[in-house]
Amino acid sequence: MILRIARKELLDLSRDGRFRMLSALVLVVSVVSLAAGWKTYTDLAAQHRTAQQATREQWLNQPKKNPHSAAHYGVYAFKPASQMAMVDTGIDPYVGVAVWLEAHKQNEMKYRPAQDRTAVQRFGSMNGAEVLQVLVPLFIVLMAFSAFAGEREQGTLRQLLSVGARPRDLALGKALGIAGGLGLILLPATALSVVALALSTSEGLLADDPWRVVALGAVYLTYFAVVTALALWVSAWASSSRLALVVLLTFWFANSVVASRVVSDLAAWLHPTPSAVEFQKGLEADLNNQEEMEERIERKRDELLKQYNVASVDALPIAFSGVSLQEGEEHGNEVFDKHFGALFDQYEQQNRVFQWSAIVAPMLATRGLSMGLSGTDFGQHRHFITAAETYRRDIQRTLNGDIAKNQKAGQVYMAGRELWDQVPAFTYEPPPAGWVLGQYSVALVVLGAWLVGAVALMMRAATTALVD
Amino acid sequence: MLGRIIRHEWRTLGADATLWVVGLAFVAAIGYGVWNGARWVGFQQAALAASAAEEAERYARLETEVQELQRTGGKVSPFRDPRSPSNAGSRFAPRYATLPPGPLAPLAVGQSDLLPYYFKVSTESRDAIVGATEIENPQRLLVGRFDLAFVLIFFYPILILALCYNMLSAEQEQGTLALTLSQPLSLATLASGKVLLRAGVLVGTVVVCTLAALFIGGVDLAGPGALPRLGLWVAAVVAYGAFWFGLAMLVASFGLRSAANATVLASAWLVLVVVLPSVFNLAATTLFPVPSRMELVQAVRVASDDANAAGSKLLAGYYEDHPELATGDAAQAMTDFNVIRIAVNDDVERRVRPVVQRYEQQIAAQQRLVDGLRFVSPAVLMQSALYDIAGTGHARHQTFLQQVDAYHAAWRQFFTPLIFQKASFTNYAGTPRFEFDEETAGTVAGRVAPAVFGLAIPAIALVWFALARLARFPIVS
Amino acid sequence: MLEAHALTKRYNGVTALNALTLTVAPGDVFCLLGANGAGKTTTINLFLNFISPTSGSALVNGLDVTKEPLETKRHLAYIPETVMLYKNLTGLENLEYFAALAGKPDLTREQLIGYFREVGLAVEAADRRVGTYSKGMRQKVGIAIALAKGAKALLLDEPTSGLDPKASNEFSDLLRRLSGGGVAVLMATHDLFRAKESGTRVGIMKHGTLVAQHTTDEFGHADLERVYLEHMRD
Repeated sequence: MILRIARKELLDLSRDGRFRMLSALVLVVSVVSLAAGWKTYTDLAAQHRTAQQATREQWLNQPKKNPHSAAHYGVYAFKPASQMAMVDTGIDPYVGVAVWLEAHKQNEMKYRPAQDRTAVQRFGSMNGAEVLQVLVPLFIVLMAFSAFAGEREQGTLRQLLSVGARPRDLALGKALGIAGGLGLILLPATALSVVALALSTSEGLLADDPWRVVALGAVYLTYFAVVTALALWVSAWASSSRLALVVLLTFWFANSVVASRVVSDLAAWLHPTPSAVEFQKGLEADLNNQEEMEERIERKRDELLKQYNVASVDALPIAFSGVSLQEGEEHGNEVFDKHFGALFDQYEQQNRVFQWSAIVAPMLATRGLSMGLSGTDFGQHRHFITAAETYRRDIQRTLNGDIAKNQKAGQVYMAGRELWDQVPAFTYEPPPAGWVLGQYSVALVVLGAWLVGAVALMMRAATTALVD
Repeated sequence: MLGRIIRHEWRTLGADATLWVVGLAFVAAIGYGVWNGARWVGFQQAALAASAAEEAERYARLETEVQELQRTGGKVSPFRDPRSPSNAGSRFAPRYATLPPGPLAPLAVGQSDLLPYYFKVSTESRDAIVGATEIENPQRLLVGRFDLAFVLIFFYPILILALCYNMLSAEQEQGTLALTLSQPLSLATLASGKVLLRAGVLVGTVVVCTLAALFIGGVDLAGPGALPRLGLWVAAVVAYGAFWFGLAMLVASFGLRSAANATVLASAWLVLVVVLPSVFNLAATTLFPVPSRMELVQAVRVASDDANAAGSKLLAGYYEDHPELATGDAAQAMTDFNVIRIAVNDDVERRVRPVVQRYEQQIAAQQRLVDGLRFVSPAVLMQSALYDIAGTGHARHQTFLQQVDAYHAAWRQFFTPLIFQKASFTNYAGTPRFEFDEETAGTVAGRVAPAVFGLAIPAIALVWFALARLARFPIVS
Repeated sequence: MLEAHALTKRYNGVTALNALTLTVAPGDVFCLLGANGAGKTTTINLFLNFISPTSGSALVNGLDVTKEPLETKRHLAYIPETVMLYKNLTGLENLEYFAALAGKPDLTREQLIGYFREVGLAVEAADRRVGTYSKGMRQKVGIAIALAKGAKALLLDEPTSGLDPKASNEFSDLLRRLSGGGVAVLMATHDLFRAKESGTRVGIMKHGTLVAQHTTDEFGHADLERVYLEHMRD
């Protein structure tokens, strides 16, 4: 029964000129955006490979110099493009691509790609995610708004129920029919994206965590199910198809265009962040706290003197200059952890507001999960920053340890390739899908609740729908 | 006659409670948008005040330190000596070059949350200076702000279309159109009256509410350059409105049923406001991709490595270009780190310039493409007009960058001779200062005019075509 | 006052009205009879210039309606099957608006109420919203508009269909009063009884052609019905 209804719905849709035109439009836009995403990704990946290699070679090819000079010379860490950024570029355009890892200092990531673009980017960039989050729900609304209300106006609903069709079957059948219509567009698009993902890398079909792909697919299917169920609910409940359309379009606009901006303000209001000047001022005040620094070095000196049981630093079997450099680093690390940590925590608090706000606008949960699973959200940006900073600290520890070990009093110590080789190349391993989903537990629960709620509403409205 | 129709329309529309609710929501959105814009301007101003305070505090400290050292003749490590012109120019004395919010900045946040509005200018390379940006949660940058520009670009057309989609078809459907037109009255007059009332009310609401919000928000409307910009803003609001009213009129003139009109107009809105602008962005970034700045990072790195290796050889070349600096003991200068550094920085910048230019050319190519394409989408035209009027778009920021470049050059010119002379630097009060030279209203008008005409001309064409088409309107089916 | 000369209207080759020639003089009440689709409404729409003729011409007060569309409407009043008014406005507000559009913008409330009385509407109905009016009341507002306008010709399209006999009778009285005052009336109707009662002449239309014209004095009611049915037969 349900399948028969679904078949009728699909047949009905496929004979509608507007449906055919609309689906052609959505299909074309998805293919174009996918192609553009693929090109952007492959370009970026190539540029990343070149840059990463170059910075490594520069490090290794340093002439003989004091390790601390090498520490000041430093290396660059470049943020790799996530493969699934082809589908959802997320916040990537709005964060820097490179960070300089040097002595004494945790630098910020520089060069946001968005600064190299025109102001139209503020309308969106029509990437795969935008098609899925904005256009497809609209498409669903246009397919579903007249499902019940239209049949009521035509008088066919009366006919249907009089032959004994169960309202529950009717609702499910219609939902299935819409899913079929959607599948006609999404299946080819998905097949193309899988091919694109496969072609974009030499490392096999899916170099990225395959669970991410699976989870992303599940998130979008859930979201589409929510929209479909809501649309059918409104259609069953509205007195005319026109009213159903107005209500659904208003919902679409509020959900996909307005909500995120309002929530963004709310988040910033609840969890304010400082301006760069203020942030820098606070950071430098702590960083340049000479007293604390000297105290720290003194403590370390006393500790070492006691450990080696000697009277002065000159008598130590290690060079104290290396130790004090490292102590300076440790002091800096604490300050950086405190300030950057507080700032990034604040961002994450803000982003949690977005997740909770999905209670009123399910698109917010979908967008968060989509960015997260595509590896282009703030959480994973921070994950990268942390990895790069850990790498910087490892470099400093290696170099300062080398100074402590090899520097002789009254000599100019020069290190060479052997030391540069001791510093491994920077590799970044993105977190697994499970880690990402953990970050979005709120969004997952809220989206799940929307699904249950919307389906329940749809079923109830279908059974109580008035015949005319 | 027109006045009579307008009064009548006012009475019938006024009786519709839904319209009042929608209208109030719209007014609230305008107020919220302006408030939000004003808050962002306040944030920027606070940041600029903080930077000015930081600078003043730093200068006061340096000046006391200098006086102290002069008086006592005390010793200090050369890395910490405030009297070294090299230290002062690169690390101690840098001043902020700031871009204050324009006279009507609260009208549109625009790109100002993304593009840096203050730089700490020193003798360091341009690249080191211009890289800094304001702190912001990237997710907030991604979703954009709820500012007045957003309300005007997205909501305002929706309201126009909601008011107009059934202006003739509803009367036709309820049967009053025939009775009305059995009077000595042309359909064109009737349609014009209906549109004029709606346009008057809506444009009036936008203008009055915005002015009120600006006034309450404490924006100085009589300040320099504010009034002409306000005039431009009203022109943009009228022209954008006229486009959508014209479109609604044209669609109405085909005499379709209300539901069909609504479908056509909603699709037009979706395509012109949501789909096309994103597609333009996609086209710009795909046709003229700006390579990742990773390449620039590497170019700078390679250039500095080469320049540092060449070191004193570069300085010899530098002396050839700047013989006026070769005073004093040139031979000793050849070994001076700070002097060599100037030559090295100079060389690095020269080598990197072509790379930077490649980026700038690509961005300029994107901008040209969008500037051309925008005439296809009124939303993009309106955006460019609003951003330019508020001074939060690309163009004013470009002007700022040029002025910063000039200031950067002046800063270096001030310090370079002192560094070469190894002079003892005490003249902190005399370091060059930056003052943003605000664009004249004429410049802004020249930039906004194409957008306003680009909206007004199609609007006139739409209205003209609609009026011509009304002659064939099917009054009876 | 109303003249049609070889007035013809074709839609995609289908003739809706075929070379209609008729004259309605002041004081005449000309009733057009005929089956649905015979061309009665087309004739009225042509006089209103709501549709344009394929050939021939329609004149109002000697002026061609296609050439002087606004001037001719000054003399016309139109009452459709149901007079549709603005539901959210009161009867008086509707009357005032239409009178103003018709070129009488300065009527006082007393004058407007006077027209209300004249067509037999209760004064207390004047300030009620039209949404509460019965069909008969709306038709009377239509006549009031015609009165306020001072129309010289009245075009009526099935004005009494669906009215109860009393309302219908009152409406006929009003028509007689108007024609007595020198107004030319052209009325499309199915109601043979009303046509005989209030008409001075009848015309029978069939497939867009005016097949017969008679004065109502020529025969009694039964005769009219017989003549009509004879024409309809084939």
